[in-house]
Amino acid sequence: MTRYGMVIDLKRCYGCYACAMACKVKNHTPPGVFWARVLKGETGTFPSTVRQALPVLCFQCDEPSCLTVCPTGATIKLDNGIVIVDKEKCIGCSYCKMACPYGARYLVEEWQSYFPEGLPLTELEIMQRQLWEEKSGIGVSTKCDFCRDRLEEGRDPACVNACPANARVFGDLDDPYSEPSQLIKKSRGFVLHPELGNKPRVYYLPPR
Amino acid sequence: MATTTTGTDVWIPTCCGQCYCMCGIKVRVQNGVVTEVEGNPDAPTGRGSICPKGLAGPALLYDPYRVNYPLKRTNPEKGLGVDPKWKRISWDEALDTIVTKLKECKARDPRGLYFQATTTQASEIRFGVIGFMKGFGTPNYWVSGGGLHCGNGAHFMNGIMHMAWSIIPDFAHANYTMNFGCSKGHGAGHSAVMNATQAADARARGNKNIVFDPFQSAQASKAWEWVPIRVGTDGAVALGIVNSLLNEHGIYDAEYLMYKTNAPYLVRPSDGRYKRDDATKKPLVWDVVDKCPKVFDDPSVTRVQYEDTAHEVALLGTFTVQGVQGCRPAFDLLKEHVKKYTPEYVEKISWVPAATISRLAKELGEAAEIGATVTIQTSMGPKRIPKRPVATHFFRGSQGHVNSGWTCLSIDMINHVLGAADTYGAALGLGAAVNSGYEGTGKPLQKPYPCPDGLMVAGAWVYDHLPYPLHEPRPPTRLDLHDMFPTSIYNAVTIMSPQWFDLLKQFKIPYRPDVMINFGSNSVMTMGNAQVVTENFLKKFGFVFSFQLYITEFEDAVADIILPDACYLERFTPAVSFPSTFSHPQGEDDWGWTIRQPVVKPLYERRDFNEVMLDICKRLGISGKYFKGLNDSIPIRYGGPMSPENKLVEDGSVDHSWEDICDRLVRDRFGNEHGLEHVRKKGVFTWPKKKEDVYWKWFNPSRVPVYFEYFIDGGEKITKLCESFGAHDFLDWSRFKALADWYPCPTHTEDNPEYDMYTFYWRAILHCNSLTQQNPWLDELSAEDPYVYGLQMHRDTARAKGIAEGDKVWLENPEGNRVRGWVTLTDGIEPHHIAVAAVAGHWTDYQPIAKDKGTFFNDLVVMDKAHTDPLTLNQDICCRVKIYKAD
Repeated sequence: MTRYGMVIDLKRCYGCYACAMACKVKNHTPPGVFWARVLKGETGTFPSTVRQALPVLCFQCDEPSCLTVCPTGATIKLDNGIVIVDKEKCIGCSYCKMACPYGARYLVEEWQSYFPEGLPLTELEIMQRQLWEEKSGIGVSTKCDFCRDRLEEGRDPACVNACPANARVFGDLDDPYSEPSQLIKKSRGFVLHPELGNKPRVYYLPPR
Repeated sequence: MATTTTGTDVWIPTCCGQCYCMCGIKVRVQNGVVTEVEGNPDAPTGRGSICPKGLAGPALLYDPYRVNYPLKRTNPEKGLGVDPKWKRISWDEALDTIVTKLKECKARDPRGLYFQATTTQASEIRFGVIGFMKGFGTPNYWVSGGGLHCGNGAHFMNGIMHMAWSIIPDFAHANYTMNFGCSKGHGAGHSAVMNATQAADARARGNKNIVFDPFQSAQASKAWEWVPIRVGTDGAVALGIVNSLLNEHGIYDAEYLMYKTNAPYLVRPSDGRYKRDDATKKPLVWDVVDKCPKVFDDPSVTRVQYEDTAHEVALLGTFTVQGVQGCRPAFDLLKEHVKKYTPEYVEKISWVPAATISRLAKELGEAAEIGATVTIQTSMGPKRIPKRPVATHFFRGSQGHVNSGWTCLSIDMINHVLGAADTYGAALGLGAAVNSGYEGTGKPLQKPYPCPDGLMVAGAWVYDHLPYPLHEPRPPTRLDLHDMFPTSIYNAVTIMSPQWFDLLKQFKIPYRPDVMINFGSNSVMTMGNAQVVTENFLKKFGFVFSFQLYITEFEDAVADIILPDACYLERFTPAVSFPSTFSHPQGEDDWGWTIRQPVVKPLYERRDFNEVMLDICKRLGISGKYFKGLNDSIPIRYGGPMSPENKLVEDGSVDHSWEDICDRLVRDRFGNEHGLEHVRKKGVFTWPKKKEDVYWKWFNPSRVPVYFEYFIDGGEKITKLCESFGAHDFLDWSRFKALADWYPCPTHTEDNPEYDMYTFYWRAILHCNSLTQQNPWLDELSAEDPYVYGLQMHRDTARAKGIAEGDKVWLENPEGNRVRGWVTLTDGIEPHHIAVAAVAGHWTDYQPIAKDKGTFFNDLVVMDKAHTDPLTLNQDICCRVKIYKAD
């Protein structure tokens, strides 16, 4: 059956943050929450310096550390490969947040506005807060779920859809002929920290 | 329309307006609230992708700091740091005051009205600004940032050489490209999302991109090779590469130069002008088969299409022509002229190693595959054209200097020496010069055509005056004296000068600044040093009113009334990726005419700028003249005149609504069945692009100059004109000459060792102009990024100065102006440079998200003649500074 995964081509990515912003706008994440994030760093000394952007998100691991430590069974690995949180079962203990080696979990203790205190919430903020609480919630663990709601509508995750560089390829990693499977095979796809044994479902293609 | 538990849920296609790139978007409206944005797959500009600025649109729409009601200044004092004591007023009161002031101005002299506008809303400008100016009767207009942040040199040069606003590699087929200080293909530039997709595809395909940049910009970090360069010396490197190609490696495209440029035109030795035919006065070339001179357009020596045949003409040699000895082809002069730009000489200027220049020239020349051809499917059947899979391109970084015009011409000269212009794989004009139009109507139609000397004249352009032929220098009528200069697009130096009024007197301008209308710009922050801009320029206006989204530093300093403008999500704009030659779809994808439509009604008391301008015209009794202004400005900008049935009625008898105007323009271009209602459904009207529209070079009879013979005339005329007004030392007009050179910036000759650092500004992907700093989502990501808010400085340089990561510092220029910032240490910068991002460092209390973030670079910019390019009036934007810790 279909088991989703993603390939991020670091040669294509130029670090524009469209993925991070698309995620924020689509999932209405409050300040400080980046289910999709772009890390930046540099290597080498002048003039051989190279800056590199590294977009990250929940890797929907096949051996998720977050799942093993969850005391209530709120973290669930779906048959389609996606790791989700059942917010009704989550007690907000943050074990998952500490266990995830990739820093993909966020827990929001309190709704916060982006604007200085003392202003009434805008129409947009009221709507965002409502949508956030419907889907994710306050005081519970939250994370990227590959935009499961969009997948149900037959659409790619928001970050994949937005990327101006077409650096993200989404699809069925169980199908050896799917585009992401083929890219991983042909272009030396790798995962971050394979030694941890989490078996991430998000692969990277090398920047050079 | 779907219904959910929260009510209605729809996606509305429209066009982004967070910058000037005009990407197609779809906006989600849930229960009447805009919640999401994504790219519009139907729009060729973006094809479903969209950048972070575009995605962050909802935060602009609902920002609680937006201006929602008309405001009036109650403190008569103006200037930086003055509290205007804003007071809410009604629209009626605001418009009554404005119309009274405009009537008074019109009675005194309508030319005292000055319109200032922002490039972010470049499409809206073509109506409420340009049409209104024509209707009111003022020539005075300025795009904020023009001459400083905009492309005085780039647009000027691209207009002459490609009949386009910008140039960009044909990413789909280019194998080896050179980028001189620009983020095109990496997040900025026109049509940025589309170009980013194309550049990423090119990287994946194996394109080798060489980036000249003082720091590890986004493009440098993705480059095949990053070549650190001393700021402002790109033109010297480009001439070094031209020299290396011509005189070291002997690589050039003779066919292209013979038939598509003025390289073979014979130049007489006496004064550097063409040797013209005694009888016809046409420029002459030397036919090497018939061994005689011929007029350049003699059929025996002319090839329009590549498969045409013609005699070869001489590119080198000395000839006696119609009794004149010593005539040489222009190319021969170019080849000799660039000899002084030896790799060693260029290394001394640019700090790029001589061996690197020579090697890169060879790699580029070999990658050009001179002689190679490809067959493309045109509407006339299969046609063979040259394949030249190389391109050089450039923008702000390299052109933002005192040598702007020649730098741009030098960088693009590499393309023309290699025949790599507007053909397969080469440097292409962006937006395009050629558009055959939608087949149902033949509009928008734009095609360059040759002037009597064979050089290319635009079929469409952004402005009334074309990039070629040069503007005839004539006694100025404008407040910035702009119409006196032969080549400039914008001019700041005259209006910024403390002697502005002396200049107006000297040049016999019979009126003075009176009323200023501002549309969306924050010129206090985007023109140069804020104090100079405010005192020398903005405070000279008696009455200032401003259409604005936020209260900016501009309104705080000088505005009398602020009108709450609708943002791009709240209004109609009938032609967004146009005017022609602006942010068009590029490459082989379809043409797309994008529109803006309101996804929600304007919130609060916001009103759309163009609707208000119609209202003002009505109250002034100039509606008919305004409509005539629009009718007059449409042909050159939108590919042909309006048909009689769609033309706006000019006698004032019809009260056209804004929607009616939008509908008429769209219907006129695409037929009655494709009016505004039709285009609203997809947000864009698309039609197939002909291959000969993309690769038009070998289908068009016009040539481009590699020898700027006509500049000699331009220089002589402007010198004479200035002298006739007693302005002998206005600018160094001797730089108007036929062949390119590199002239140093003032920073290069500054010899005060105390000011030991070069600083420059760069465009961050997360921001556009000064607008986006207040957006909380963009601010949050800017803070995530190590470079957007920091002053990038080499870690060794910092260590030697006792400066550490995160230190608060001052950058101070020799004039004593200083700006503060926080240091980010890096190895990704040439150690003598400090890089500053975006138009940041806001200080108004009305933008609390933007306030005190990043550094306000422009306070360091010196605006005087020494920092002005005589060719283009471009202002130099690199500075020498000392850096020291702030307490």
